[in-house]
Amino acid sequence: MAERGDDPILLEIIKGAIRSAQAEMSALLDRTAMSPFIREKKDYFIGFFDAGGRLVHSAGLPLMGNVIQPVLDRFPLEEMDAGDVYWYNDCYGSAGGVSHTPDQVIVAPLVVDGKVRGFSQTWAHFNDIGGLRPGTLSPDADSIFQEGTIVPPVRLYAAGRQNDDAVAIFVANSRYPDMVRGDLRALVAAVRLGAKRLGELFERYGDRVMLDAFAESERQTASVVGQRLTDLLPAGTYTFADRVDTDGHGNGPFDIRFDLTVGQNGRMAIDATRSADQAPGPINFLMSPSVPAMTLGLYAARNDPSLLINQGHIETLEEVKLRKGSVLQPRFPAPLGLRGTTFVKVQQAMLGLINAATGGQALAANNAYSIYYMSGMADDDAPFLLTDGLAVGYGARPTADGVDAIYFVGQENYPVEFVEMGFPIRIRAYGLNCDSGGPGRWRGGCGIVREVETLVDNTRCSVRIEGTKNPPWGTAGGQCARAGEVIVNPGRPDERRLPSIKDGIVLKAGDVLRIATGGGGGWGNPFDREPELVAQDVANGMVSLDGAKADYGVVLDPASLEIDAAATEATRRDRRVEGKLFHNGAYLDEMA
Amino acid sequence: MTDTEHPAAGTDARRTLTVAIDVGGTFTDVTLVDRESGESWKAKTATTPPDFERGFMDGIRKVLAAAGRRPQEIAQVAHGTTVATNAILEMRGAPAALLTTRGFRHVLEIGRHDIPRKANIYSWVKPKRPVSAHNVHEIPERLAVDGSELEPLDEAAVRQAAETIKARGIEAVAICFLHSFADGAHERRAREIVEEVHPDAMVSISSEVLPVFREFERSMATILNVYVMPLVATYVAKLNAELTKAGIDAPLLLMKSSGGVTGAATIKREPIQTALSGPAAGIVGAVHEADAAGLKDVITVDIGGTSADICLIKDGRPGVTTKSQIGDWPMTLPMVDIHTIGAGGGSIARVNSAGTLSVGPESAGARPGPVSYGRGGTEPTVTDAHFVLGHLPERLLAGEMEIDLAGARRAIEDKVARPLGISVHAAARGILEVVNNNMLGAIRVVSVERGLDPRDFALLPFGGAGPIHGSDLARLLGIRTVIVPPSAGVLSAIGLSVSSLRNEFARTCLQGTDDFDHKTVRTGFAELEAEAERWLAAEGVPESGRAIEWEAAMRYRHQGFELNVAWSERAVNEAALTRLVDSFHRLHEQLYSFAQEDTPVEIVTLRVTATGRLPVPARAALTGGGPAADAVIAHQDIFVGDGMRSSPVYDRARLAVGEVVEGPAILQQLDTTTLLAEGDRATVHPSGSLLIETG
Repeated sequence: MAERGDDPILLEIIKGAIRSAQAEMSALLDRTAMSPFIREKKDYFIGFFDAGGRLVHSAGLPLMGNVIQPVLDRFPLEEMDAGDVYWYNDCYGSAGGVSHTPDQVIVAPLVVDGKVRGFSQTWAHFNDIGGLRPGTLSPDADSIFQEGTIVPPVRLYAAGRQNDDAVAIFVANSRYPDMVRGDLRALVAAVRLGAKRLGELFERYGDRVMLDAFAESERQTASVVGQRLTDLLPAGTYTFADRVDTDGHGNGPFDIRFDLTVGQNGRMAIDATRSADQAPGPINFLMSPSVPAMTLGLYAARNDPSLLINQGHIETLEEVKLRKGSVLQPRFPAPLGLRGTTFVKVQQAMLGLINAATGGQALAANNAYSIYYMSGMADDDAPFLLTDGLAVGYGARPTADGVDAIYFVGQENYPVEFVEMGFPIRIRAYGLNCDSGGPGRWRGGCGIVREVETLVDNTRCSVRIEGTKNPPWGTAGGQCARAGEVIVNPGRPDERRLPSIKDGIVLKAGDVLRIATGGGGGWGNPFDREPELVAQDVANGMVSLDGAKADYGVVLDPASLEIDAAATEATRRDRRVEGKLFHNGAYLDEMA
Repeated sequence: MTDTEHPAAGTDARRTLTVAIDVGGTFTDVTLVDRESGESWKAKTATTPPDFERGFMDGIRKVLAAAGRRPQEIAQVAHGTTVATNAILEMRGAPAALLTTRGFRHVLEIGRHDIPRKANIYSWVKPKRPVSAHNVHEIPERLAVDGSELEPLDEAAVRQAAETIKARGIEAVAICFLHSFADGAHERRAREIVEEVHPDAMVSISSEVLPVFREFERSMATILNVYVMPLVATYVAKLNAELTKAGIDAPLLLMKSSGGVTGAATIKREPIQTALSGPAAGIVGAVHEADAAGLKDVITVDIGGTSADICLIKDGRPGVTTKSQIGDWPMTLPMVDIHTIGAGGGSIARVNSAGTLSVGPESAGARPGPVSYGRGGTEPTVTDAHFVLGHLPERLLAGEMEIDLAGARRAIEDKVARPLGISVHAAARGILEVVNNNMLGAIRVVSVERGLDPRDFALLPFGGAGPIHGSDLARLLGIRTVIVPPSAGVLSAIGLSVSSLRNEFARTCLQGTDDFDHKTVRTGFAELEAEAERWLAAEGVPESGRAIEWEAAMRYRHQGFELNVAWSERAVNEAALTRLVDSFHRLHEQLYSFAQEDTPVEIVTLRVTATGRLPVPARAALTGGGPAADAVIAHQDIFVGDGMRSSPVYDRARLAVGEVVEGPAILQQLDTTTLLAEGDRATVHPSGSLLIETG
């Protein structure tokens, strides 16, 4: 039988092999990288591309632009060598291919018989690459020049030899040089492994079969995603807007506004030009046009794990209109460090558009994950830097509660025992944030509370939590989530409340930083939730007794938590409010 | 029964028999071995859920009768059990409660706060925890990372929690306090109080189950331990009673996930150690058979109805991991490093709307099973594809089962061939290619994660559906030699009959090798070794049969994943440390393609493994059988190249040592079927294994 790449059986085999290669690269990075960002939080991304830079397969993380193009622009294909490894983190230079500087992009070409056939790529978030403050990113930054060393596309390896000089300069600019060195080694080992695996496939099946397979897999994805979106979204124009509270410099809120047009022929276009002007602070998101499409695509293909995540996801949108000088397309050299905030609002806005078009058939919203940094000198005069990610609650779904305490795909927390083993820090409490989930027929997920005590004087710290003024919205009658808060020394005479984005906090030994993160939005009218589920939530510390009554109209015996059926029925009858499509502090017919 | 009532090592010279019982989903396999003469006997009985002890005892009686031996001659009863595994997978464990440090009530709900990397954020649901937060009780108490006390244990709070637990009718209690790996005093005291208030409770403390850092994983191990404890304890007690009743005065040894057996007393305390009992026994059997055929480097593939378990054996030793999973839960106790994928004989083939063919992970299981079994299955499976291509004899189980070949062909035609626009044979071949390649990917991940090239290994397929895939898999991997053991379908029972006693002891002990504290490490190892010695004594292992090995879990400073490195001799000094660090660099380089000699190295965990060797059975060489030509029992059409070709079916039992069979051919035996492709050449080795050179 002559082998063809669009042979359905061969195609499945090739897809499986690409997935295995991705799993191998992940395992290698998990095990060898040094930045806790990479090894515990798994803040990295792996992708395979064809020679033209088209995405062949990647992780399901819709936070990427065309990562290969910047390399292709600088290094012509015909000059590439099998022993080359390329490297960059230049956000503006890559037009958002990478969207903040700590993410180092590392690329290895696959060269077969002197011709480049594809690329294996990874980016990963390095702990510290210089910049204004330990950990590189600071809410205080007002220019990208304060956000660490900028690396344009360069050859980290040329024909198998490392560019020691470039590495020396980069490493010398980090406050934690050991980690940077170790992380670069781990990433290089990973992309080389990926290129080797891709090469084995080309060797086994030949160029033509492989290229056919890439094309066919892209066609499959595009056709399924396109069909699902067409089925989901009736023709028309839909608008959805949400707000980023602040840029950490006292400015804001910043509107993120999308107009989605679905033509009679099913063609779709997005216009983001009505979003706010760029911010002086670092919440700007240099958004690649592929981000909205990738988000919609992942939603559409959510129940279809057999598809590869590839260019087929991206090309469902005919056009993405952006406005230069806006918060989604800032001008150089606006700071970008905390773009995660805005990125997550964009992701939620895509769900908002689907809800607007379908009367609330998608999920409710969630916040971006939170991060705090603590740095200083440990007892033995060694500098330390803790960058600790905190989970939030996810939005409720039409068929299920939102997930409690989630950071992001594939990213793990730092165990309390890990933190205390490595840092002069004690975690005093770590639990779910009661009542933070948006009330609904399906409850929004709960955020978390983490109480962190420093054991040394002069601990500098910075913190970022989201959605304190515009908490994640609810839909289909579900209500918005409850906001988080940041407090120093709660319950003590010197208690003080901090803004939601703040750098330059100085703590002394014994001070406690209490961070509570927000929940996810609810779905459906909370008065329709089964009283048994509400009682269970109370027993499990997700909803308080008062919350059960106020938010759900469910009256429980305070001691036994038994449902008082009569009182519940009366409360629900007397206080019921009919919901609207969105809830953002109040019920709204639209968020526009 | 006390711990030492039955010396496990069988010091009584008159008793030479080991009986091994592997309870599977459908059948219970029993093997009886005379460790002196090397003779062995096998029996098979039906598994009898929920009273597994019935099938267990039936099997023993049957095998003793077949051998003409007496119960009093049995020196050990070795058993692989899935009681714990199934309780966890099916979430049928005991209602349980957890005592945790104040402030950490939601340790289980939060877990590691991640969505699995392969999951879609819009459809993933967090798995239900085995203990809900309602049954997690916060206790005021706190240790620092070095084990020093920051806040004393609030005994009144423990008492209060125990009362509540008792009032709620919960009898399984786990206790996991922060940093208890450094000092278990608070946990031990809390256990005393719970036992005092609630005498019926079974209590398990994390400093005994898994004294290693990372609170979520340690809490989970402790909970799962106590979650399965009532079931396992009851089961073990029943077995002991039945054995006594049958006049068998021998210790009951249970297979642990790490590939060794241990006495029932240990398992009653730490039942979670049997979470991977069955598969581990299979690996021990595979090692034994490969060794008998002179092979030390082997990749095993155990293929059953719903899944395939892959394991890599290097230098005659299977890998042991401390980072794996059971069901949805992390499992950080030592387990044989088995990689499981959802691909087996019952895996269902489907064509989805995008026109892609997928095979598994959904399975038709034992019921309704493949279409060809005629038990009501309607979805085409891997087994059906084998039947259509003539890979399986048209009668199974010695003719006891009728095969619905037409049904299998129709299912493949309707659900795969027509949607893809290809022939039934092409569709059946496609199903096998997809499933073989899924296994191939998994084998690659297993071998390459350990920095090894699969082509340097032999392939040992086992399990009911293993040997039929062996030749194809080997060819895909570039492996030249396939070994099919004589009892490839019941290797777990073989493993049980030849295994050693084994237990592991570990403790977190963070040390930089640049400012290494010899004294702390020496004390750590000394204490672990004392624990190991106590266990060996309790199991009745004589001095001559004892072995103790040290290992250190190591990493480069700032890394988060440790590699286990053997401590070459049991001494803590500069020379040993230098060797250790050097071995770590070499291992890192082998696994990950680079070493970092300019970077400081840390020791994170000390591990001690104790082994009690049981007398190794003598091996009886294969006798009997005759020339290959006389072993042909039928001919049938097998798909070769581009069409069906009439090929011989051999009865494997009739092949004498040294006989050669060439493919295409089928070799039939009671417990499995081996397929030889065109160009394959199989030789019967004196140990009874078939050695296949792939064409």
